[in-house]
This record gives sequence, C-alpha cells and structure tokens, in this order.
Amino acid sequence: MVSISDAVSSIVEDGSFVVVGGMHLHNNPMALVREIIRQGRRTGKLLTSPCGAMNADLLLGAGLVDELITSYVGFEHLGLAPNFRRLAEQGSIRILECDEPYIAHGLYAGAGGLPFIPLPRGLEYSDIPKVNPESYTYTEDPFSGERVLVGAPLLPEVALLHAQLSDAQGNAVLLGAHFLDRLIALASKHVILQVERIVSTEEISSHPMGTTIPAFLVDAVVVATGGCHPTSSHAFYTYDEQHLRQYLEMARDERGTDEYLTRYVRQTTEALYQQSMADRIDSLRNEAVLEQRAL
Amino acid sequence: MSLDQPTDWSASELMATVLAGQLRDGEVAIMGTGSAVPQASCRLAQLTHAPNFSYIAGGTCSVNPYQQPLVASSCDYRLLRAETAVPLTDVVLMEGRGDVFDIFFAGGIQIDAYGNCNLVAVGSWNHPHPRGPGSVGLPFLSRVGRILIYTMSHNRRTFVEKVDFRSGPGFLEGPASWREAGLMGGGPAMVVTPLCTMTFNPETLRMQIASLHPGVELQQVVEATGFEIEIEPPLPFTPSPSPEQLDILRAMDPNGLLR
Repeated sequence: MVSISDAVSSIVEDGSFVVVGGMHLHNNPMALVREIIRQGRRTGKLLTSPCGAMNADLLLGAGLVDELITSYVGFEHLGLAPNFRRLAEQGSIRILECDEPYIAHGLYAGAGGLPFIPLPRGLEYSDIPKVNPESYTYTEDPFSGERVLVGAPLLPEVALLHAQLSDAQGNAVLLGAHFLDRLIALASKHVILQVERIVSTEEISSHPMGTTIPAFLVDAVVVATGGCHPTSSHAFYTYDEQHLRQYLEMARDERGTDEYLTRYVRQTTEALYQQSMADRIDSLRNEAVLEQRAL
Repeated sequence: MSLDQPTDWSASELMATVLAGQLRDGEVAIMGTGSAVPQASCRLAQLTHAPNFSYIAGGTCSVNPYQQPLVASSCDYRLLRAETAVPLTDVVLMEGRGDVFDIFFAGGIQIDAYGNCNLVAVGSWNHPHPRGPGSVGLPFLSRVGRILIYTMSHNRRTFVEKVDFRSGPGFLEGPASWREAGLMGGGPAMVVTPLCTMTFNPETLRMQIASLHPGVELQQVVEATGFEIEIEPPLPFTPSPSPEQLDILRAMDPNGLLR
C-alpha cells in the first residue's frame, strides 16, 4: 500500500493513455481522478468503460484530456455531462467515437495480444465507424471472403479502478457488478486500485474464485474509504444525487467548473475531502446496502 | 404528461403497460441507460401474462431483477436483488451472437421516420448541438429480434425525417436499403411516447400512428412529429392500464419514478 499521491505521481506519466473504471454513476475511481487533477497530470488519451460519468467529465473540465475514447459520457437520468458537452460542441476535444461492443472487444484484443479484432456484422450500419477510422476499419474475412468491420486493440497504459475490498497486495474483490473492470485490468499495462477496505490475504483466499483482479496485475493499492463519492460504491453506499446535481449546476460554464474544482479538488487533499464528506456518505449507506456480505 | 384530461395513471405508467403488452412468454430482452420504464414493463409482463419472460437490466447485467424497488439508474446496486447476474462481457458476446435476445429497448435524442435512433450528435458530428451522451450498445439494434423504441419527448426535435447521426440502425433509408443490408435483426416493431403508439408500415417501413393515448387528439401528434406520419383511420385509443396492472406497477415503484 502507498499513499494516493505517491501512487499517482509514480505511475501516471504526463501524456499517458488512461482508462477509468466503473460505469455510469457507480464505482467511479473518483479519489484517483481527483488526485490526478491535483497533480495536474495530462492524460494523452482517456478511455471510458463503456459509460463514463463524473470520472470523465471532471478530468475533461480540468482541461487535462487531449483525446477521448468513449461510447458514452453522461449522468443518466440526471442529465448530460456538462464539460463533455461543452468541449464537444466547441470542437475543442478530439473524440474517438466508439460503441460498447468495440470497447469490450478492443480491450479483449489488448488483453490477449490480438493484432485486431473482427466485429459482428451489422455494427457497420451505425455512423460510428465512419467518424472514427483510427479505431475501426474493414478487412476481408479470409474464411468467407466477405468485407468485415475490425477494431484496433485497446492498450491503456494506466487503469484507474475501484474495488470494495482487497488485501494489501491488491487481490481485489468487487462486491457488486464488475462492469468492464476486470477486462480493463487484464488489458492495461499498469493498474492503480483504490479500495474501500483492506482485508487479510487469509480472508481473500478463503474464496479464491471470488477474487475479481489478482494482485500481480496491480501496481499500487490505495485505501480510499468513500473514494467513489459522489458516485456509488456498490454494496457500500449509493450515489449522492444532491452533490451530483450541484456539480451539474456549477459545471454549466467554465467558471463554475473551476469553482467546483477549486473547492472540492485543488484546495483540499483526498483525506480532507473524505473527512468533509463522511456524514453525507454515511447517510447514503442504508439505501444501497442489500446486506453486509461476509467474505 | 401531455394528456389534457385528468386520469388516475401517468403517461409513464401507460407506456409501461403498452410495452409489457409487446413482450411474450419465453422471450429475452435487453436495455440500456435510463431504463426505468422498460424495466417496469418487463417486471409487469413477468407478473402477469409472461412468467417465463427474462430480461437483463442495463450495465449491472442482473437477470430478472425483482424491482424492489424500481430504480432510476441502469447500473444501481439494488438491481442485484435479482434471480442472477452475468458479466457485462458475456452480454456483449450474446448481443453479437444475435439469436439470444428477442427484444432491445431503444431510444434517442433523435428518432427518424424509419426508426433509426441517434444518441450521438444533432447537427454535424464535428460541431454538434447538442452533443448527445453516446451510443453505448445501440448499434446492436442491427442484430436483435425486435426493437421497441420509447421516449418521453414527443416533439419535432426528437421525431425527425432523418437522424443527423445514425447510432442505432432502424430500417436504414427505407425498403431498398433494408433489403440490401440483409441484417440479422427484425428491425423496429413499435414506438411508444406520452402521446401515442406507432408501428411501421410493412410496405414503406415508415412510422405510422397505431393508437392515440386516451385524451390525445390526432392533430397534437401530427404537430409534434417532424415528418409526415402515416395515418390509417379510424385510430383506436390505447387501452388504459387496468387496476391490476397499476397495483403491480405501484407496488414496485414506491419512489414514484413512473408518476
């Protein structure tokens, strides 16, 4: 285990290809995202998995993303992603437009060393491949001779992931949905894992098939209790709708975004952020937790 | 809610009952972002006429969630109060296989006369206004049995002659292109909005009004639709939800997401 600032400063190089885990309003690795913003590390490419929310919009709002690979950035029923929307409408961010099947299969190709991956017929009838020739192209199926849509492998340099539990080495257990997080760990060169709670290796190894990500894929484990806030951490707390709405309101323009970043990110450490949000996160627990699962 | 006359049910509740009526016993459905209405319709179908119907609820990939309670986010932890759950990677594989899922619930910031959906960009893709959130799994509409389209926005911005960006394929540019493509999927089957239900003319593959919701005038629908919509009078009214259906919906929706 290392401090969050050491993990980010030693692993995330300026200009890296970064992928953020979690999906929609859930399991976003927000503690790591906030720390990247504090340290001002640029992400050369940012990949969402397949649906980004606060994890992508905040990095975009901080002006730290050169290129975005995504199939969705938004806040579901709460609204569109304000910074993503503004940058896209201004044409001031390079977007590699994708769909979910390509992101999943592209990560699979990255994880398995496949030079490219053929995609199911029919996907070429969306306009997505037309606007993203860097990720999609066509080749001849050597078996049928037909034209087939293919995708480039996705090979992120750094994955930012959240797990509910892990041991000190990083054997990680996701207690709720896994989304694409396991595949992301398999495809990425480095993994930084933020966790709600550290448990003993003995506890982990009593249910070895329950481990989502093995420690040898994890470069650094940081403890971030409440570290998904204002998104949810499955089995621990639900998303903070009031805070998310406040963000959406503030982030409607650049000045408000900057105010948000100053107040909740730049002028505070992650430990102070968690301290200031502890009561709120506590109040979000009851509704989310189905039952306290013992390992 | 655009119905002028007072009713004891909401537009969302009506839409959930209409969609439930499209689901058959033994079928399997999938859906994506922001899908409280289709999720309610699936659970309603299971608890009424289709006990062996199955559905996968968004990114948690929970199979047959009990909707205790119905939730707004498609990836909510509470969806794991379910029969089981499968990995998202498996769902992507089964969508690709194409013969597993009978129903795909779709929507868009634009929906066109041929049932193509757009979740990406209005205007040019380079300088959109507005920029939509993105397409997620919608391109898989090309490989699914039937597409059920739903939207809470029945207006001329949403219902357009041709989508600016096709992110979910419907009947493409019409009969010739649809035949030529020879897609595996069956294409769009129904559209439901707060004003009416619409189906697709089997010859022209264009959207046609199938029923008006109680209290809605035909002229309202024509004015709210940005393309020339086909009408075959006399138009029936959409059946109102039954008391039994409303009881089931309200029992799963204590937070009133559908109200």
